[in-house]
Amino acid sequence: MQRQSRLDLLQGTLDLLILRTLQNSPMHGWAISERIQQISGDVLQVNQGSLYPALHRLEHQGWIKAEWGISELGRRARFYRLTAPGRKQLESETTDWIRLTGAIGRVLKEA
Amino acid sequence: MNFQDLLLRAKAIGRPHQVEEELDDELQSHIALQTRKYLNAGLSREQAERQARQDFGNFELMKENCRDARRVSLVEDFFQDLRYSLRGFRRDRSLALIALVTLAVCIAANTTIFSVVNTVMLRPLPYPESDHLYWLSERAGKNQNEFTVGADYYSVCKNNKVFADMGAYDDLNINWTGIEKPEQLDAAQVTPSFFKVFGTQPLIGRYLAPTEQGTKAPAVVVLSYRFWRSHMGSDPAWVGKTITLDGLSNTVIGVMPQGFDYPKRTQIWRPLPMDEAVESARMITQPMRLISIVARLKPDVTQQQLDTDLNRLTTMIYREYPREFKAGGFLDGIKVLATPLQRRMVRDLQPALLVLSGAVGLVLLIACVNLANLLLARATARTRELAVRIALGSGRARIVRQVLTESIALALPGGLLGTLIAALAVAGLNAWKPLVLQNYPRLTLDVPTLVFTFAVTVFTGVVFGLAPALSAAGISIQEALKSGSHLQTTSRKAVRVRRLLVVAELAIALILLIGAGLLGRSFLRLAHVELGFSPDNLLTLRFNLTGSRYATAENQVRFYDEVLDRVKQLPQIRSAAVSTDLPVSGEDRFGGIKFQVSGRVPLPVAQQPQSDVTIVSGEFFKSLGIPLLNGRVFDPTDTPKAPGNIVVNEAFAKKIFPGENPLGHLLIGPTGRMHWTVVGVVGNIRGSELGAESDPLIYRCTCQGGDPFMSRMGLLVRTTVDPTAVVRLIENQIYAVDRDEPVFNVRTMREQLAGSLAPQRFHLLLIGMFAAIAVLLAAVGVYGVMAYLITQRTRELGIRIALGARTRHVLGLVLGESLGWSLASAIGGTIGAWALTRYLKSMLYNTTALDPLTFSAMTVMLIAMAAVASLIPAMRAMRIDPNTALREE
Repeated sequence: MQRQSRLDLLQGTLDLLILRTLQNSPMHGWAISERIQQISGDVLQVNQGSLYPALHRLEHQGWIKAEWGISELGRRARFYRLTAPGRKQLESETTDWIRLTGAIGRVLKEA
Repeated sequence: MNFQDLLLRAKAIGRPHQVEEELDDELQSHIALQTRKYLNAGLSREQAERQARQDFGNFELMKENCRDARRVSLVEDFFQDLRYSLRGFRRDRSLALIALVTLAVCIAANTTIFSVVNTVMLRPLPYPESDHLYWLSERAGKNQNEFTVGADYYSVCKNNKVFADMGAYDDLNINWTGIEKPEQLDAAQVTPSFFKVFGTQPLIGRYLAPTEQGTKAPAVVVLSYRFWRSHMGSDPAWVGKTITLDGLSNTVIGVMPQGFDYPKRTQIWRPLPMDEAVESARMITQPMRLISIVARLKPDVTQQQLDTDLNRLTTMIYREYPREFKAGGFLDGIKVLATPLQRRMVRDLQPALLVLSGAVGLVLLIACVNLANLLLARATARTRELAVRIALGSGRARIVRQVLTESIALALPGGLLGTLIAALAVAGLNAWKPLVLQNYPRLTLDVPTLVFTFAVTVFTGVVFGLAPALSAAGISIQEALKSGSHLQTTSRKAVRVRRLLVVAELAIALILLIGAGLLGRSFLRLAHVELGFSPDNLLTLRFNLTGSRYATAENQVRFYDEVLDRVKQLPQIRSAAVSTDLPVSGEDRFGGIKFQVSGRVPLPVAQQPQSDVTIVSGEFFKSLGIPLLNGRVFDPTDTPKAPGNIVVNEAFAKKIFPGENPLGHLLIGPTGRMHWTVVGVVGNIRGSELGAESDPLIYRCTCQGGDPFMSRMGLLVRTTVDPTAVVRLIENQIYAVDRDEPVFNVRTMREQLAGSLAPQRFHLLLIGMFAAIAVLLAAVGVYGVMAYLITQRTRELGIRIALGARTRHVLGLVLGESLGWSLASAIGGTIGAWALTRYLKSMLYNTTALDPLTFSAMTVMLIAMAAVASLIPAMRAMRIDPNTALREE
């Protein structure tokens, strides 16, 4: 049950991070989680339990598209690529996020 | 849902394995990468792999979440559940088989009855906007008889505000001659507006023009499609030609299309010889013309507007009648009624069909209860399996869904097989064509019927799956998983539910048994009803003398006398007679009369006693074997010139002359012209309906002549051999008298009796069959639950036996339990039957709907059946070996 609630908390943010990670090049699931971890300086740890359902959900929504490719281990892996609607979604979500955090920051500072 | 999503779903359904594999691959690939990361960080291979897996968490759960994310899971789950169920049923073949057979039989029965209901009652009549068609009638007088008077037709026509069109008609038989073998046709006399009401255009030619009505209408006829096809080879050239009907030449002006069939089985329509000027005079001394009315409602007229207008018309008609009618009580409680035409047309079958639908529904309910019980037993055995699944993270809703999928998977093949059986049953009914369905179209398994069947099947699956599904949802994991307690975990509650279900199905079976018992008892009473005459070796047929040759009563009597003379000369004939009424023929009585007994206080016409009148030839009583109770029957002294003599039946003597000798009394008819003296009293015979009580009846003799209504008489012939063997001989004698007189309705009295019992036999057969199925299912249910309870209590019984319980104690224990169920269900069933059998009332003859004998006999039968069904498990209980029983745990 606890797992469930954490997933709910992360959902929106994780989606945004995934979309942003895929902005420059297609990646498979493991690489996405590594990259988020790396760039965030190990602050953000992606829960594998949420990652794949999130990827499948985004694919279902048509924001990313999966293709089979070969991973660096020579194994079959699914590479996810940002679609045009996904790109648009990323832009609007980024704007929203910046506005939101900015607002929260101002409240925390001045209230 | 976008296209890609659809594709995914389709892919998921079509190739579930591939989709699963891909998901597996993707996740495995991730674990491999993670493992390498840990290896690079310096962990050993074993540690790295363990760590990678640990990071990953519950692999299966994640797969489930991924499937959920794609939202294909609902469909996919269904198929997964289905596969799982089928695998389960393969292990549990007997359960699957019982379910299949039970459901197939019950769904077949429901589908068949529904197809009858659909054909007869639900399918709209084949006329445009047929729900606007109504049948108008009036109800009035002391007995609230239903009738329609010609004069009132014209009043309603002119003054109503709700009907777009109205037509009047009556039906009759006419003779078609001038062809090889004369034939009797079913005809209807109609007003031109009749066709307009139905809104059907003729197939060829035209129908009656507005001028073609009344007594002066030209002799034109419209043919039915069926008649045109069977008798005229579908030749359009017949339109414009003439045919001879009742000795007169008639011009064919048109043919109606195939579906146009009103009144039912009409072959020919012609103008109704009724004139407004004559009818509207409303003279009490003139006979009033009785007709029927069909009407088409204006569009957008509400039921309330219709009712209001009918009330207004009732008041108006009441005012239009002269005072004499009101004084006579003829108009007491008069009411103009409008019945939807379809309901009017199915009025003889409707109550029976509703009862049959109810009965067959109850059978299905029993089947559901039975299967619920079976599945509950299975669910109990699977408690552990389900508990494990819940413990491993399967949602309870998911489990409920799976159990329901299972029961629907059980129901669907049953529905399919049931549909096949129903198709056979429907084909059988069409081939057999029982008398009660004769006037209706062929039964078909059409789309509405199939939709109904499918809905019933799914509904059934859900209903019998509900109990096990809910019990699965309520599983307590801890208890179920406690080791070694796999059978004891079935809670008291579950056992109570199963007992309750058995009692319920026994109670429903009892309701059906009582219903069937009532119908059976009524059928026996009707079949053994006192006829008042001997039905063996008796042949009856009818004439209909028409045309100018038989315009006078003298000519008609001459024809009958000649026929009787010739027929009686045949060596196979013992005696023969003619009569206006044939017993149990189902036809309306020939006629009735109001009269005064001479010497009593004069009464107004309406309050005078009334009696049916039958005109017979001299040998009538001898031919039928009706006993003479008093006085004499007709003899050669009763000539046309002699004073009018009559013979009356016992009912007449009792009613009109209670405690008096009727002989010698003089009866005077309403116009004062008729003077009849009672010369004899004979025994009662059954009237036109088998179930009808004998009404007072006056017999007059053809030998005294003078009655202008003898054109339509029946011939009764008592034979010394099988009556069917002499039909041809008798017909030849009749044709020898007049080549142009058709002979029809040739039947033996035995056939006639069988025919008049046909509806009752049909209902009894079906209800009896349903009751038998119900009892069988209930017996299976009792057996199943009893066997289950004994298995449950093997240990206890073992201890009892080990401690010295005799086999008869064990037997007593089992039978006691069964008796408990029976008694509980007897109470429930009796209450249910008490509430429901009232709907049987119209189908019962001389049997009350609460007949105590039937109620108690059927209850005893049910208790006995339950005892027998528990005997087999009881035997097994008695043979329990304490050693094995105690070691088993």
